[in-house]
Amino acid sequence: MDEAIVKLEKVSKTFRDFWLRPTVEAVSGLDLEVRQGEVFGLLGPNGSGKSTTIKMMLGLLPPSSGKISLFGLPPHAKAARAKLGYLPELSYLHPFLTARETLMYYAGLCNLPRKVARERTDQLLEMVKLSDVATRAVGGFSKGMARRVALASALIGKPELLVLDEPTSGLDPVSTKEVKTLVKALAKKGMTVLTTSHLLADTEDICDRVMILNRGKSAAEGKVSELGESLEEFFLAKVGSGDDFALADFLA
Amino acid sequence: MISLWRIFWLEVVSLVRSWTALMLLVASLGWMFAANFVLVTDATDAGKREMLVLYGLGGVFALLIVAVLAAATGTIATERESKRLQLTQVRPVSSFAIAWGKFLALSVVAAAILAFPCVTLLASSEFSGRRCSHVYRPLLESPKEEALKMYDVYMADPETPPLVKKAKKPVVLRILEQRAKDHYQTVQTNATASWTFPGLYDWSNENPFVEPAARLRFSNTFSMRDDVYGTILANGFFGVVSNITQTAVTVPLHLCQLEWNHDVLSFRNMGDKPVMLRPRQDVELLVPADSFAWNLFRSYIVMVSILALVAAFGVFLGSGLSRPVALFVAFVSLIVVEMGPSVIEQYPDSLETDAVDRFGLTIVRAVETCVKPPSALAPLSKLAADDCVEPKDALGTFAADFVLGPLVLSLLAAFVMRRKT
Repeated sequence: MDEAIVKLEKVSKTFRDFWLRPTVEAVSGLDLEVRQGEVFGLLGPNGSGKSTTIKMMLGLLPPSSGKISLFGLPPHAKAARAKLGYLPELSYLHPFLTARETLMYYAGLCNLPRKVARERTDQLLEMVKLSDVATRAVGGFSKGMARRVALASALIGKPELLVLDEPTSGLDPVSTKEVKTLVKALAKKGMTVLTTSHLLADTEDICDRVMILNRGKSAAEGKVSELGESLEEFFLAKVGSGDDFALADFLA
Repeated sequence: MISLWRIFWLEVVSLVRSWTALMLLVASLGWMFAANFVLVTDATDAGKREMLVLYGLGGVFALLIVAVLAAATGTIATERESKRLQLTQVRPVSSFAIAWGKFLALSVVAAAILAFPCVTLLASSEFSGRRCSHVYRPLLESPKEEALKMYDVYMADPETPPLVKKAKKPVVLRILEQRAKDHYQTVQTNATASWTFPGLYDWSNENPFVEPAARLRFSNTFSMRDDVYGTILANGFFGVVSNITQTAVTVPLHLCQLEWNHDVLSFRNMGDKPVMLRPRQDVELLVPADSFAWNLFRSYIVMVSILALVAAFGVFLGSGLSRPVALFVAFVSLIVVEMGPSVIEQYPDSLETDAVDRFGLTIVRAVETCVKPPSALAPLSKLAADDCVEPKDALGTFAADFVLGPLVLSLLAAFVMRRKT
């Protein structure tokens, strides 16, 4: 449980415009460790730098400064990526592929032999309850169904680290509960999970440890049980409760 | 390897299920069918053949170039914009495999579509029993060598414009090279012009019963149509020229044992007026080769290679630019590649044009140099003229346009893709 699978050291990311002038500092001097077998939550309001942090971890964005390692390797190393599953904020599926073809495609990208890929596809379709619609194009799926296909495709390579960006976004309460149950089950099996969310109730249920990000910096980090009675109260105390809109003039 | 195959498969599936491939196939076959009725020929079999190849198959080829370019520029650009590319990039797949897989898929689909019109051409009665010919040109100094030789004389000539004398040597050499290409040789009445064709003697000894032909294109001082009469002798083969100038005339040569003049083809002007021709462009010896089917197959290889290069170029542009910008750059490059050489040929002497034209010419030259395909062949015009697309040329084009060029472009695309992400 102590071995760091994901390690960020003094990581910063500054976005620049066409003339290379800095426009926004999305992440600033961030230190983070995700240990093997834990469910780690990255929390923060919109624009706090969660997705940027995730993208840097996945090697999709280069950091402006600092060091990132996945399984002790640089994030773009093939060996590191082979142990990784990623569910983005939106499903981004190829609409003309069927659910089965989608999973077979991602299995192929993980270099799984055809027989293994077929077996795992069947298992995952069964797991996300999409076996009945396996031959339908995912372009016609509801948001919840598409989310489940995306989750299954993140799991197709049997990853050791599962990165979930807003996993319950757009899901109804039933699907949300299913996803949370699934994450708990995967964690029990020893999979390391890194999830981001701004829905505190979701995170509170599944995470062992959380970090609260605010304006690209770590506002707090620790075990959920140690953060106080309510994660929501703690969160609001750290990132601010927000002011009411100045409606008086407008409504007058 | 599995991941490369999957990327290839996904691209093929997307082209098939989005109806793009099917629509292109229907349009291609439809045009090949309609070409028989729509195109107006000169009522000769040769005219109809030329129309079917140049405008029938040529139309399909042009359509495919545009379609492949449009699809190729979009394939990575739209995936990046829709963020689907991220999901591929976080897998253990190299960026090169992504670019190469997409390029291969586009090339294979384009090749499959192009095969259908080629088969319809092969099946049409106009081409049954046709044979093609190897085309040989006389052994002459290259225009570059001639330009180098001419340079000192030209610069010392008092009639050379002062503006040219002030110009840099490469500019003047370019002008002289163009002049060398267009250099006319005049054949006076009852005079004989001779050109050397290396290997002619050996060839006629090895193939004593195969009769070659000569293809000449005459002109006269005023570029007017006029009669031309004469005889051609080529190492024991004899032919008679009786035609009009301004037209390429193919003269069958027959074995006559009249004169064994090693490796030399000569024309004797027996008309009453002098005629002119450009030895580098207007004198050709045609030697029978294999069937039309084989020639079509080699032309097909060349066309597929060109389409592959276009696909790789589109994929490269799409890897770094947004789709509309990539499309714009791609089509501008295509226009420059297509029209650039003729613009440069028409205005070789950039010193005689004004500043704006000079600027335009400089840009055209620069873009043409950057995007010029590594190997350029005109398979359709050769096919229409029954000229043999030589196997070594077809293989060379395949190696350059289907393998080497796309390999370099895919590596560049991979580099750009990583930077862009």
